[in-house]
Amino acid sequence: MKAVCWMGTHSIEVHDVKDPEIINPQDAIIRITKTAICGSDIHLYDGYIPTMEAGDILGHEFMGIVEEVGSEVKKLKRGDRVVIPFTIACGNCFFCKDNLWSLCDNSNPNAHVAETMYGYSGSALFGYSHIYGGYAGGQAQYARVPFADVGPIKIENDLSDESVLFLSDIYPTGFMGAQNCNISPGDNVAVWGCGPVGLFAIASAYMLGAGKVFAIDRFPERLKLARECGATTIDYSDDDVIIVEALRDLTGGVGPDCCIDAVGMEAHSSTLVGVYDKVKQALMLETDRPFVLRQAFMAIRKGGTLSIPGVYGGVLDKLNFGAAFGKGIHMAMGQTHMHNYLAPLLKSIEDKKIDPTFMISHRIGIQQAPEFYKKWQEKEAGMTKIVIDPWQDTIANPVVRVMERHSA
Amino acid sequence: MATEVIPTDASKLKSVAQIAEGTAYKPLPQKAEDGYVTAHAIQTIAADPQTLYTLWRNVEAFPRWQEYVVSVKELGAGKSHWVMGNPEDKDGTRVEFDSQIERDTPGERIGWKSVTKGVEQEGVVTFVPAENGRGTIVTLIQKQRVPGGAVGNAVAAVAKRGPKQIVIEDLRHFKEMVEAGEIPSVAGQPHGPRGVTGSVKEWMLGETNPTPPGSSEQR
Ligand SMILES: NC(=O)c1ccc[n+]([C@@H]2O[C@H](COP(=O)([O-])OP(=O)(O)OC[C@H]3O[C@@H](n4cnc5c(N)ncnc54)[C@H](O)[C@@H]3O)[C@@H](O)[C@H]2O)c1
Ligand SMILES: [Zn+2]
Ligand SMILES: [Zn+2]
Repeated sequence: MKAVCWMGTHSIEVHDVKDPEIINPQDAIIRITKTAICGSDIHLYDGYIPTMEAGDILGHEFMGIVEEVGSEVKKLKRGDRVVIPFTIACGNCFFCKDNLWSLCDNSNPNAHVAETMYGYSGSALFGYSHIYGGYAGGQAQYARVPFADVGPIKIENDLSDESVLFLSDIYPTGFMGAQNCNISPGDNVAVWGCGPVGLFAIASAYMLGAGKVFAIDRFPERLKLARECGATTIDYSDDDVIIVEALRDLTGGVGPDCCIDAVGMEAHSSTLVGVYDKVKQALMLETDRPFVLRQAFMAIRKGGTLSIPGVYGGVLDKLNFGAAFGKGIHMAMGQTHMHNYLAPLLKSIEDKKIDPTFMISHRIGIQQAPEFYKKWQEKEAGMTKIVIDPWQDTIANPVVRVMERHSA
Repeated sequence: MATEVIPTDASKLKSVAQIAEGTAYKPLPQKAEDGYVTAHAIQTIAADPQTLYTLWRNVEAFPRWQEYVVSVKELGAGKSHWVMGNPEDKDGTRVEFDSQIERDTPGERIGWKSVTKGVEQEGVVTFVPAENGRGTIVTLIQKQRVPGGAVGNAVAAVAKRGPKQIVIEDLRHFKEMVEAGEIPSVAGQPHGPRGVTGSVKEWMLGETNPTPPGSSEQR
């Protein structure tokens, strides 16, 4: 089969590899119909997630048709149409039973590597480094899915692939990001990052009763999508804008009740501290650039809740923890507990409460993946979400929706 | 072995594992000295002590969940014959020895010791109900001779893992088998060209580790 492989930092290649086979009795093999590139994949592309190895198959957002099932799979059968959650969970351990699926005890074959770095290991993920299990990912024509009765959700309607594909990660991730900040009706919510995760967080915050949502980014096309979701947008690249002040002014001097960091470890900043972070990160003295966290610590109202769906991998520097402590804030974070959200969010799509396809800007064939990883990382104009059809080599006109880059 | 460092009394372990009220923490045995390594692993497993005891006592089923066990034959009266090695490497090194269960308290504890000259390892596993209702606290302590070579430490002779990690992975696999019904594995999955460093790091990639199948009939 054809698969998108990580070959090193900023090096992506498509290779012909052998097809996956059933390894364990609860496995299924999925023939992938659609897969996507995620903001999280940029952290791999840029080499910031440790324990990637040349040849690793990328991709954790995918769906398809069940091709084959292992001897212990009871609920799925050949031909079923499924979306695969990106976290792999056994369904039976203490954490799974407590609905903390992304913290499953029993899915990571390399748990000892994670234990060395984090004390304990979370669940395994598809296509996301060996510390997270080393499972081959879904930017390929086929994938092996362990615990097939626990994770995949069957799609038994005639919604298009693209309408349900984002159940694999970013819609649940944005939703949990909003849910984790304990929104009370009428609360003011600030969201850093208007990438796919931030956009779903904005939409979800409104579903959960937010009063106003303020969305922060610098790319006009992303800010425009945020406004389409109902947010008031703030362009942090505007020289006249100071984020902490903007959020204070927009919330009557109180600060946002809820803050969501939908940016993560590679936050961009042109200020001096930002440059300092970039240099330190490049020198491996600091693994993450916590620029958004620093701002959120200052901007959030006293006693507010900060939710962090943006990914962090390691050591942070110059974080004003005193601000977080002094204002008595609450924090919640982590990989998404995917399995909690699949059924209810599928229903929200079926009920037409949301059409997740609004953010798709590009549709490509598998051979275009290396080129589009580069464009995606560079945030080339108009790139808001890329979907891959692994059975086409190239799609001549990849633009699905023209997202122009000029300020509104 | 001259000195016995392994606690043979399950009640001693209990005080560490469950932090009995009003007692001071005492570390479990974990040391390397005089050519021996004593290591421990601890896990809370979602099952009752009797079920776990029964699974562990079934020595012939060890190849289903423990790495680098090719076969085990029960010889009666607590004695068993073990063949260690990589089950997937038919021509690989094999180390054989006999083991004797010395302390056997159903539902609570199993202690064993190798009885073949040249192979020196002993261990104890205890099963204590978790007071928080999350199942059973299982503690595994093993003492073995290092460096093994072909004799001394039968597991280290055939495995790629260090002696402490072996103990941790053995208990982890036991838990995975009991709770998940299988042991997670990426052995033999597809990947692109690994390049030069990839092959050096194969231990970490987990793709070449012989993962046991892990199906448990009791489940
Ligand atoms: N927790 C999870 O389980 C989970 C799942 C998926 C993605 N994520 C993470 O969520 C984050 C966002 O994912 P995405 O797919 O939306 O990525 P993305 O890269 O498309 O979007 C990130 C956005 O943040 C903006 N940004 C950068 N610096 C900023 C700053 N200083 N202030 C405000 N905005 C800034 C960028 O311009 C970009 O639009 C990533 O870190 C990703 O790894 C987490
Ligand atoms: Zn993702
Ligand atoms: Zn689990």
